[in-house]
Amino acid sequence: MNVGIIGGGAWGCALATLVAGAGHLARIGTRGARPKGFASTPNLDALARESDLLIMAVPSDSAAEAVDAVRPDAGSMVLFAGRGMNTRDGGWMSDYLMAQTPCRRVGALAGPALASEVVAGRPTALLVASPYDEVCRATQAALHSEHCRLYTSTDLRGVELAGAMVRALAVAVGIADGLDYGIGARGVIITRGIAEATRLGTAIGGDPKTFSGLAGIGDLVSCATSPQHPSHVAGVALARGGSISSRLIAEMRALVALGESEGVDLPLTHAALAIAAGEDRPRLVFDGLMRRAARPE
Amino acid sequence: MGRIDRHLVAMSETDQIAYLSETVYQERLRFERDGDDATVKERERIDGLARALTEGPEAMRTATARLVRAYSHEVHNRFSERTFGAAMRLAPAAIKGLLSPSEAGGWAWPKWDGPERVVIQGPVGQLQALAKTHTLVFAPTHLSNLDSPLIGYALHLAGLPPCTYGAGLNLFSSPIMGFLMSRLGAYTVDRRKRHRLYKDVLKAYSTELIGRGAHSLFYPGGTRSRSGALEAQVKRGLLGTAVAAWQEGLLEGRDEPEILIVPVTLSCSLVLEAETLIEDALAAAGKSRYIISDDEFSEPKTVLRYVRQLLEMDASVVVRFGSPLDVLGNPVDETGQSVDGSGRPFDRRLYVCDRELGVRSDPQRDRVYTNHLADAICSAYRRDSVVLPTHLAALAGWTLLGSRYPTLDTYGRALLPPSDRWVDRGDLVSAIARGAEAVDAHVRAGETQALLPTGENRAETILTQAVETFSAFHSRRALEFEDWRVLVDPKLTLYYGNRLSSLLGPEELV
Repeated sequence: MNVGIIGGGAWGCALATLVAGAGHLARIGTRGARPKGFASTPNLDALARESDLLIMAVPSDSAAEAVDAVRPDAGSMVLFAGRGMNTRDGGWMSDYLMAQTPCRRVGALAGPALASEVVAGRPTALLVASPYDEVCRATQAALHSEHCRLYTSTDLRGVELAGAMVRALAVAVGIADGLDYGIGARGVIITRGIAEATRLGTAIGGDPKTFSGLAGIGDLVSCATSPQHPSHVAGVALARGGSISSRLIAEMRALVALGESEGVDLPLTHAALAIAAGEDRPRLVFDGLMRRAARPE
Repeated sequence: MGRIDRHLVAMSETDQIAYLSETVYQERLRFERDGDDATVKERERIDGLARALTEGPEAMRTATARLVRAYSHEVHNRFSERTFGAAMRLAPAAIKGLLSPSEAGGWAWPKWDGPERVVIQGPVGQLQALAKTHTLVFAPTHLSNLDSPLIGYALHLAGLPPCTYGAGLNLFSSPIMGFLMSRLGAYTVDRRKRHRLYKDVLKAYSTELIGRGAHSLFYPGGTRSRSGALEAQVKRGLLGTAVAAWQEGLLEGRDEPEILIVPVTLSCSLVLEAETLIEDALAAAGKSRYIISDDEFSEPKTVLRYVRQLLEMDASVVVRFGSPLDVLGNPVDETGQSVDGSGRPFDRRLYVCDRELGVRSDPQRDRVYTNHLADAICSAYRRDSVVLPTHLAALAGWTLLGSRYPTLDTYGRALLPPSDRWVDRGDLVSAIARGAEAVDAHVRAGETQALLPTGENRAETILTQAVETFSAFHSRRALEFEDWRVLVDPKLTLYYGNRLSSLLGPEELV
């Protein structure tokens, strides 16, 4: 199988490693610096036509640009491997792809696998979600190996949302860690964060089980407890008076707006956004969360 | 039988037994329900299939083949190449003849000037050209049993070819409709047969017709809208036959296997069966009453009176042909080539072929493709639906009743006693004015179409037109003037107002 990977960053290289480990040919498409030790090409258009599976391993704020550059056709199978929403319009990357190109066979890759651990050959697992069995089968064939278990799901929308929520909640955990609230607070944010992600996911037609799986709690535990994960690092920085990228803020705003339009309360995401946008001080925001009325779980 | 046979062969023996057992079970239930309607032969065939289930694969195959032959004959019964060919030539004359005074048995018909009464909208020129090179599948919204002859006539007015379509067996019981439908390419669908084997026979038949290049029509909503609302979701079964037929054409290397879908939106000031349909929508049993055999349509005099009243009104019916779509719901250009969201043409064969253009069969993939088509059709319905005065006035009346009785739910409002069914005329005019402005905004945003009066006293004109229209047919009046107030029939205003339920919220009126 020929697998094209758009994006020569750490995650793109990690996925190329997995593809090679599964016995397939991986080529990285990038117009930036060519990663060493991997087959790569700057010709994204040709790569798209020559690949049986195309994996977009770029951050969410570059994903729309990558779609515009690659222009998958009706014969392409495309997988988004970066968490998050389309920062151009606050929508979903799969929707953007289908609105802009003829490509219909689309999926999302998610889960707790960290790039550094994948490259080191440590055991991990990922989830591919697509309404097309064909996309799930191709992804399993391309990535499943003795180091990485590949699970499948049909809940594309749920997995896309889970990816975006995980980033926002990892920021929230990072803030709590930065404030030295301890391990217990981390557990509370992870658990209640998954509860609000599940509420929102269900409201938009996702499967609640998605959020208790690899793309939900699995990914959140991995991101929120990794001292190197960018979202967690950003949260810690916020707690200590720093700032975070406008991309993360835009994504949190999109999630809060989605919650409002669906009538779903997202207290933790809202809190993380208030702090990130500089609307309130971290301790005051968390105090406000703790003073919310008591209620059953 | 070929398609069904392939379908069966692809199943495990356990699945085959489950599939055929369901046929036996459902048919025996039907025999019990319908009593003497079921023939001895029908019972024998099902008994034979039941026995075969215990006798192994070969016996099952033989019994299934027998049943499939019988179903195919029944479906095909009222349709033949010859009939269809005749329909191509005779459709316009048949409809005009049927609606002429002499055919109507002494009824005094208004002077017939159909084209002014039935408004045709949409890219008719493009469709005329595409009909010569492509097989068109028309996918209309469905309000009334009269929709099929109406579309038949609209196709004639638009200069488009007639098409084949599946019509419920119950519709053939009406002599007028039986005459019309059997001459307009209708094949028979018995909705009492609810098992998968029968549905698969219907799908195979539709696939064959489309594959042979017969322009076709099916109602993706499946049945008439009970509530009066626009179809927000559609059934995938028959729609999927377009993808299947296209793929078969590619596989067999046919010269012109190209198939395009044309969403069609019917907007009517009055609906013959409105009173029965809304009762059915509100009734707890409504969902299970799929076939209604005792509505207004079963009374020939009522049908004739309805048609007559409708023909006396200007622009009472709008048939809007939508922009054609490919079998995945993508728009197409003037030549029928698929174009993406940025307007760039692309090769749609790659949806089902590999890079060397070899067809790759994948039924699961095709089901998801059909979902895309279904979504595109529903979007087209919302975009192409035409707001008429009766819709807006009814919605305003229903909404104002809700404002008067805010604690009542839909059912409570629908069952208000006659003495409480009124609203202030000034309030109603104001609500209509606000609603008309909101509709204008939606039209400008490309979210709907409208055919509403303009000029001074617009809201009053809309109300007056609506009241006059409503007074023309129904036994009850949806809206009726009485001094300073307007009497509101809750069920009928709910029915007609529902047409706009996906477009306007109460806050845009009151």
